[in-house]
Amino acid sequence: MFQAGVREYREIYWNPGYQPRDTDVLAAFRLIPQPEVAPEEAAAAVAAESSTATWTTVWTDRLTTLERYQAHAYSLEPVPGRPDQYLAYVAYPLELFEEGSVTSMMASITGNVFGFKAIRALRLEDLRIPVALVTTFQGPPAGIQVERDRLNKYGRPLLGATLKPKLGLSARNYGRACFELLRGGLDFTKDDENITSQPFMRWGDRYQFVMEAVHKAEQETGERKGHYLNVTAPDCEQMLERAEFARQLGSPIIMHDYLVGGFSAHTTLSRWCRRNGMLLHVHRALHAVIDRQKDHGIHFRVLAKWLRLAGGDHLHTGTVVGKLEGDRETTLGVLDLLREDFVPANRSRGIYFDQEWASLPAVLPAASGGIHVWHMPALVEIFGDDAVFQFGGGSAGHPQGSRAGAMANRVALEACVQARNEGRDLAAEGPQILTQAARQSPELAAALETWKEIRFEFQAVDIPDVVQT
Amino acid sequence: MRLETFSYLPELSSEQLGQQIRSILDRHLVVGIEYTNAPDPYDHYWTMWKLPLFDTDDPAVVLAELEACRQANPGAYVKVNGYDPVRQGQVVSFVAARPEPVT
Repeated sequence: MFQAGVREYREIYWNPGYQPRDTDVLAAFRLIPQPEVAPEEAAAAVAAESSTATWTTVWTDRLTTLERYQAHAYSLEPVPGRPDQYLAYVAYPLELFEEGSVTSMMASITGNVFGFKAIRALRLEDLRIPVALVTTFQGPPAGIQVERDRLNKYGRPLLGATLKPKLGLSARNYGRACFELLRGGLDFTKDDENITSQPFMRWGDRYQFVMEAVHKAEQETGERKGHYLNVTAPDCEQMLERAEFARQLGSPIIMHDYLVGGFSAHTTLSRWCRRNGMLLHVHRALHAVIDRQKDHGIHFRVLAKWLRLAGGDHLHTGTVVGKLEGDRETTLGVLDLLREDFVPANRSRGIYFDQEWASLPAVLPAASGGIHVWHMPALVEIFGDDAVFQFGGGSAGHPQGSRAGAMANRVALEACVQARNEGRDLAAEGPQILTQAARQSPELAAALETWKEIRFEFQAVDIPDVVQT
Repeated sequence: MRLETFSYLPELSSEQLGQQIRSILDRHLVVGIEYTNAPDPYDHYWTMWKLPLFDTDDPAVVLAELEACRQANPGAYVKVNGYDPVRQGQVVSFVAARPEPVT
């Protein structure tokens, strides 16, 4: 018989004895219940509303076996120093998710629950994606090793720059700015995320001038070059049209803004890139709206994991140094999630679960935002070889212009790599290594002089809580 | 022509070259040598100088092979590669000798 009414969520969904299965999707939420709500009830509400329950019992519950599909809130931990906060762990059965769909995971796990009245704030800190689900995704179109093999670049980080000013250059002048940077020694230039196809520079004009610059720089340097042509567009048809034109012009790489474009559009593009041998650079506009506040939203490590599943060859991350937010340990955790095949749980880096990637290709982290030549030793030390450093202002802001600025960065990069390989300590000897290299490079000497006083020293907003376990 | 890693630094002395080769061997990578007279950014396959030096852990052996390759191919660009059998790809590669200075 059907009993109408409202039951407490914890009767069904709070299940502290539950042993998560290898195929479960596991979520760690930072949870702030309303003052009058018990944490077990709040955790159960999260599990319930993101799986099988609604606010009341319904007769159609009796037509299925809810135990098979329900999520389980299986653990709660207090957050040290924050008496109102808990870490709530929820396990979801594999069958709740569509294969190969980040969109499906987002709709379930980060759906209604984030607006639930019984909860004051909620943040998805980490998500364990089981191998059974990982293998239903394509992942990055190429991956780090294939990108290096295609472009013939080994044993060092790659260098890029976003063209500045962000807005207002004509296509031909934009191509000039691109050529100077590539000719000076950068591997890549990049469209700013604001650049799509405005009246001052339509996408087709930009692509043609930029690709002339890329090819000419290749001829003159003997090195492969590329420009991240932004194909982010008002609709998917136009996105693919732009991607196709980039391919016809011989571009090795295109760019998409995955959060503003959305995961369905992004996944379409990622699969197109795999079919067409194209690299995909991924920008993350909107991310700070979602991930910056510690109490509510989705941590960037989850957005990064979703991107690795949906597919991208480069992804912007924090830099630790520079003008943008990014705590060191948290950033190192994200780097591991993008690049390694197995990432063990590590609370001091904010990683709550072991994550196996089952040979899914790796994503090259892109460090950008207020970095300049003095940061080079720290960047090489923090990121290692598998990264791309984007020096926008730090190239075009050189007193002798973009070409000299690019060359200064390239000399500094190679000097740091050489010194590291010789066993020198970049953290301790960085400034000395740069000054030494500048003796042979007037471009580097001028860059060092220009940016010697610039620092961005502010406390990060979001640092991991080290939870006693 | 610049030609990738280390081509923006002054030419490596043989001592500096030895240190770079030491670091490749210390990472348990396999060293290989390739050469060409006509470098092209789209060319992935220069001519191999013998097989990769699978059982070498002595930089002097690598330096001697580099010199032998240069002697046998005057006018060639000579590249040192480091292959990583775990990652199944090259992870190091730089031009160690060129016929004329960088321009």
